Amino acid sequence: MSSVHLIPRVIERDIKILFSDTFLIGIMFANFCIDLFVTAATFGNLIGSSYFLRIAPGSNLITAMVAAFQSGRDIWREKYIKDLASYLLTLPIPRKVFALSRITGGVARSVIATFPGTLVISYLYGILFSPRLVEAFVIVAVFSLGIVGLSIAVSAFASTIEVFATVRSAIQLYLSFLSTIFYDVSLFPVIVQPIVQTNPMTWAMQAFRALQSQGSTLYPISVLVGPSLAFALLGAVCYLWYTRL
Amino acid sequence: MSSSTIQVTDSSDLSGQSTSRLVLQMARRDIATLFRTPWIIISRSLAFIIQLFVFAYLISGLVVKFPGFFPYYAVGSVVSVVASISFIIGYDIFEEAEEGLLDYLLTLPIPRREFIIGRALGGAVRAMIYTIPMFAIVAVLENFSNPLSLIAAILDLFLLAFGVTGLSITVAVSVRSANRFDVVLALLELAVSRASTALYPLAFMPSYVAALAPFSPVTFAADSTRAALSGSSLDILGLAGLLAFVAIFLGLGATFYFRRLEGGVYA
Repeated sequence: MSSVHLIPRVIERDIKILFSDTFLIGIMFANFCIDLFVTAATFGNLIGSSYFLRIAPGSNLITAMVAAFQSGRDIWREKYIKDLASYLLTLPIPRKVFALSRITGGVARSVIATFPGTLVISYLYGILFSPRLVEAFVIVAVFSLGIVGLSIAVSAFASTIEVFATVRSAIQLYLSFLSTIFYDVSLFPVIVQPIVQTNPMTWAMQAFRALQSQGSTLYPISVLVGPSLAFALLGAVCYLWYTRL
Repeated sequence: MSSSTIQVTDSSDLSGQSTSRLVLQMARRDIATLFRTPWIIISRSLAFIIQLFVFAYLISGLVVKFPGFFPYYAVGSVVSVVASISFIIGYDIFEEAEEGLLDYLLTLPIPRREFIIGRALGGAVRAMIYTIPMFAIVAVLENFSNPLSLIAAILDLFLLAFGVTGLSITVAVSVRSANRFDVVLALLELAVSRASTALYPLAFMPSYVAALAPFSPVTFAADSTRAALSGSSLDILGLAGLLAFVAIFLGLGATFYFRRLEGGVYA
């Protein structure tokens, strides 16, 4: 069996892990609903109705971020709690292919976990029954690619779950509050603006907003690909480093 | 996280130890546990600072329909942090059960009742110790200087912490899967904070949230704390709600925990 044929097996395993607890997927959707229909709706009332639509995709991308970090957490648990790392290394698949498959599996899990959320946002943006729906899923997938890479990199170095959770929180704070989810980049102090402009969340939000305004998503997605690929590569390198034992 | 131990007392000395002393001994252990894990303190402090000085500062410039949103949010963010930190005791208890440390704790010469009350008290006190610096930042920023108001506000926060600790213990001893427990607790934390008046006023919530928010314990604490700090009046309804919340969840948490400790049998 060639190693390429083994990639779907690894991805399938990761997806099965996600579905081993369907309750978790339900809870992630509940999180999304609270973010969108409680927090975003209230800020919409406080600021203006267009603001609700402006920040709505943020709820879905935050869910994608949580789902992507769940992949890293599972890898951490395999290493420290379940002691599965040695067994996984005995599988007849080259390590580089294995690492890339785990990242792809993480992206697939994230897209699945945010599937209902992406449909809700697409409905709000009036693209639910349009071919542009595919673009919405592409945005979520490209964004998730980077976050899965980051979460795997963190899982490789975090020796305790507290360290993992702390780094995860710090990354989530950076992605949520130092991006354009809630406010325009021009509102930030000049010194912080480069941080906001290089934030993958900023470009994922821009891409979603382009869907709403019937504009082209090509530019924001092509910018988003840069950090996402870089983070995915970092995740792969860290995973390979950690499997070196 | 739960690697700490408490000094074992000879059972012959137990009769000499008062109930309150044993409760305090258990509480002291939980307080020490939190401060031995600085990661949690670092991450929650960072979250508070970014939420207050980045999010609240920038968003208050956009909120034109509610003047004074920043001071409103600042007090509410402290209330949210108290709730958030109080939930951590659940993680500790869950982890102790998973790692087998609970079995060791049960061998200690401490009656079950003191053990449980001590855990809840420890969870609440450490949440307060942790939140006081943040409360001080907000008090300085907003010029809250009346000592009576400050004491009343701290009492509100403590009652919230005590009740949330009970809620967290209830969840910790009811959910079996580790992954599921993490997400349930995170969802519960999100729900009680977001569907409350801690971070935004009731008048601006969608009707379906506004119908539920007045019954959230975080709403009781947020409204009562704001009333105390503004020196307007004593929020009797908020205080009564908080006391009821503490009584219900402390009782529920103790019952569930007790049942778990005794293998499903009430002693």
